[in-house]
Amino acid sequence: MNWFRAYSVLTLSIGIVSGTLSAAEPEPLSPTAAIQMVSHYCADCHSEDAAEADLNLTRFATYEAIVSEPELWGKVLRRVRSGEMPPPDSEVLSGSDRDRLVDWIQTSLHTAACGDGVSPSAARLRRLNRNEYAATVRDLLGIHVNVALEFPADGAGGEGFDNAGETLFLSPLHAEKFLDAARTALEHAFRDQRAREQLITAEPNQDLSPDAAAKKVLAGFLPRAFRRPVSQAELQKYLGLFQAVYQEERSFTDAIQFVFEAVMLSPNFLFLFEEPNETGKPVLLTDHELASRLSYFLWGSMPDDRLFQLATKGELNSNHVLDEEVARMLKESGKVRSFAESFVEQWLGTRALGREFKPDPTVAKRYDSELEGGMKYEPVFFFEELLIKNLSLLKLIDADFTYANRRLARHYRIQGEFREQPRRVELPPASHRGGVLGMAAVLAVSSYPHRTSPVLRGKWILETLLGDPPPPPPPDVPELPEAELGGAVLSLRDRLEQHRQDATCASCHDRMDPLGFGLENYDVLGRWREKSNGHPIDAQGELPDGTKFNGPAELKLALLDRKDQFARHLTAKMLGYALGRGLSNEDGCVVDEIVDQLKKHDYSTHPLVFGIVKSVPFRYKQGTDPAAAAVQADAKLVVPEQESE
Amino acid sequence: MMSKCRVEITRRTLLRGAGVTLALPWLEAMVPSVVRGAAAQASPIRMAALFMPNGVRADQWTPEGQGTEFQLSPTLEPLADLKKELLVLTNLWNQASDFGDGHYVKTSGFLTCTTINKSLGIDLNCNGVSMDQLAARTVADATPLPSLELATEPISIGVDRNVGYTRVYGSHVAWKGPTNPLAREINPQLVYERLFRAGLPQTVNAQRDRQLLDLVLGDASDLRQRLGVADRQRIDEYLQSVRSLEQRLERASGDSASEWSPLVPFAKTPQPTTGIPSQYQEHVRLMLDMIALAFQTDTTRVCTFMFGNAVSGRNFSFLEGVQGGHHQLSHHQNKEEMLRQYQVISRWHVQQYAYLLNKLRQMPEHDGSVLDNSMILFGSGLRDGNGHNPHNLPILLAGRAQGRLAVGKHLVFGNDTPLANLYVSMLNAFGAEVERFADSTGPLAGVWNSSA
Repeated sequence: MNWFRAYSVLTLSIGIVSGTLSAAEPEPLSPTAAIQMVSHYCADCHSEDAAEADLNLTRFATYEAIVSEPELWGKVLRRVRSGEMPPPDSEVLSGSDRDRLVDWIQTSLHTAACGDGVSPSAARLRRLNRNEYAATVRDLLGIHVNVALEFPADGAGGEGFDNAGETLFLSPLHAEKFLDAARTALEHAFRDQRAREQLITAEPNQDLSPDAAAKKVLAGFLPRAFRRPVSQAELQKYLGLFQAVYQEERSFTDAIQFVFEAVMLSPNFLFLFEEPNETGKPVLLTDHELASRLSYFLWGSMPDDRLFQLATKGELNSNHVLDEEVARMLKESGKVRSFAESFVEQWLGTRALGREFKPDPTVAKRYDSELEGGMKYEPVFFFEELLIKNLSLLKLIDADFTYANRRLARHYRIQGEFREQPRRVELPPASHRGGVLGMAAVLAVSSYPHRTSPVLRGKWILETLLGDPPPPPPPDVPELPEAELGGAVLSLRDRLEQHRQDATCASCHDRMDPLGFGLENYDVLGRWREKSNGHPIDAQGELPDGTKFNGPAELKLALLDRKDQFARHLTAKMLGYALGRGLSNEDGCVVDEIVDQLKKHDYSTHPLVFGIVKSVPFRYKQGTDPAAAAVQADAKLVVPEQESE
Repeated sequence: MMSKCRVEITRRTLLRGAGVTLALPWLEAMVPSVVRGAAAQASPIRMAALFMPNGVRADQWTPEGQGTEFQLSPTLEPLADLKKELLVLTNLWNQASDFGDGHYVKTSGFLTCTTINKSLGIDLNCNGVSMDQLAARTVADATPLPSLELATEPISIGVDRNVGYTRVYGSHVAWKGPTNPLAREINPQLVYERLFRAGLPQTVNAQRDRQLLDLVLGDASDLRQRLGVADRQRIDEYLQSVRSLEQRLERASGDSASEWSPLVPFAKTPQPTTGIPSQYQEHVRLMLDMIALAFQTDTTRVCTFMFGNAVSGRNFSFLEGVQGGHHQLSHHQNKEEMLRQYQVISRWHVQQYAYLLNKLRQMPEHDGSVLDNSMILFGSGLRDGNGHNPHNLPILLAGRAQGRLAVGKHLVFGNDTPLANLYVSMLNAFGAEVERFADSTGPLAGVWNSSA
């Protein structure tokens, strides 16, 4: 599958969203026709006089007016596309007209935002987060201990990940932790014969003075620690420290160990630093900066020797080398797992397992650490396989395999030989598993500690899989009425139905609750059940667009109908993760481009990863003119091929 | 890579040069507020703030009666034995947090009385500084740790897209500066080790360690000069972080202006050895023990503690008659069954507060007890979890701050009296002279002991 070769020479023209212009589809709308359509179907409720949801759509009389408010129209787009709007009791908007209107809004917003190219963000500076620190120290010193376990956890920013520079702040506590961790790590490394030999590349002898030996050692260590070549002046500074210490201590190794400690406390080690771009326009990252972006994206750690060498030779920025390197990096299964873990746990929210979410002992009598481990690693191992084997991202919605350990397999009632370490398992038909919605970790973190909640699970699907979170409930509206009617205790479904009688509640709960009901066959910990409290489970749901389903299998089909929305959201998440920041409107253009590629390649995983790596925001840094686009209107959002091939 | 020829900058010149632009708190704190040594000196004043998420059951909180004649409410009943050490403050509100959705504004704003930026990360800003950190600045040089930030839950994961806030906001009450929330320690064992070592840094050779830190600080200042304004802030945070290590070294090696030794030997408090206990109750007790230890030894004089993060869904089923998560039950919809459980949870928090107060009361100092020399705030950023509003907040203050606080009263203020007024009074009692804090209109009447 050399699809990426082909991809790298593709020229995509901007302003055309794939799928909108293929011959089989109806003629695109003109701006006038689109605005008339909005007026015809929406103005009854969304005009100046009757602005339901505070939304007056009649004030948008021109194309320019519409594209000047992309966020508002983005919402309109989502509501129309999902079939919620126009609502059932109004004039019916036919399927093909709906598609044409959706396409027109989407294309217009895309063209307006992306037509003149994309501005990347400025050179970045951010501290290594806790996981990255641990992995970097491990790779730098060649040791096998996690020395960051005692660090405070890092908060998340941007797209919801703990590698976002904007929320990686520092407290007085951090320097203490860095110092302790560096000392511990170095003691490990200097005690370990192999690690030590890798680090102490020279020792003083008759022909080699201590200074000369130290210089050699530091010339090897400093560039690796700082992830870039170091200047003579920098080298001299650290050599100076060595000399001062060696004069007193007379132990070469002790003095070197002490200097390494200083290196590991230097901000050059602790921060990912990119040289600010002083020119007006965006420029490509340096090769070493790119190497770090790549390695912290795909490995959560420092560049390896090969990346470092390619960067030093100045070859990494060439598209075909980049393709080969990304392909190589994705084969390093141990390292890719840390990416899978960090990304998936935060995207799906399963990191909350055992932290924010702990099941109530009354409903989880046999919950133990092995089960929790199996639950926690199921989505991670699963996603790792998608990455390594370039499988379809849609397998996240439905798949015929998963990963389980002994306890989880029993939990799922899957037969076979299992151990404590999860392994791949082909799912038998009617296993009720396959895809993240059948994974116990997902089902648990979207429940209350002692019972399931169709509202929370529905919200989880909207937010996590479709990227369309409902707004928060208005103040003083109960989360879930426990109403009793005429003395009879109502079922959860009845209570929620009653809740939705209220139009304010219904506007969001009509979207959330049915999705969650589709998963009611899973209990708090994701075990399959046919009954709850003695009543048979009713797992039917109807979405606002009239789609009906019964149970998880049909719910998955309904989600597969929205695969583009899913793919777009996942793409945005991963781009945000790769960039370590929140996305801008213009980043949305890049997302659109990549989703185009995904559609053309059966939603395989590699086009997503390669698309991100090749994108303007990943490879460029902004200059002093914040509006300057990296590539002009006639070019593309991906980085153009530089060499003629 | 270009190498820049540069005269070697020592840490001291760096600090001299950068001091103005950095506005580093430690520079403002160079004047020691307490000179040690003389036995006749008063014990230091300490300040702690305990934050409880999710509000309280409103109809079971406020005592009957005013002034010294008041009956504790059912929720406050665990404080019966401490009534004379206590101020119950009614009708305070935090206007700046009457804004935005849900809990985040009311958590980060609890001690700052400012409105945080609505942000998923970029432009993270609380637009102020928390009152505990103002207090810490005035005594930063007197103790090994300027302040101690504790919690029981790790920083919440992810961002809250429903309301558009990063959960960083919901996990911090202590803000050193507008963009600098302070990381909390949640493991009691690590807190103990940190307290212990802060006063007695492990060093083979202090001179050598100082050379190391000088080099690191030099690297940081070099890097700083190559950065834009926004990024400099991060490096400044790091500079401060490293500098605080250096201060400790100086203190340990006797170079510091203020010598320090623990007021009471550490050995008297058993060292927690099991990491984070699996039982929440035990976890909270150990963290409160650590506050008491820090205050008793004078390792720090300022501490904040978060029982839980904003929106904490912690399962309180370990309490008799409770089944469910804290946040979920706080949305009680006026249903008696949920209200009952909600109240049990609030009361449990008050019980833990009483535990800390009792512990401090049992720690004698030559001029009373540690509690006599402290002020311990307890409260939540919202009143009723069902309504999320910051009017008439549940706020308690205990300890006499060396006779400066007129404890033993229920004070009822005019509607919507700024919470910031209380903080002005507390800061003044602490010795940090302030006239205004955030939206304060003056000190809070009746809190100060007029005869003091």
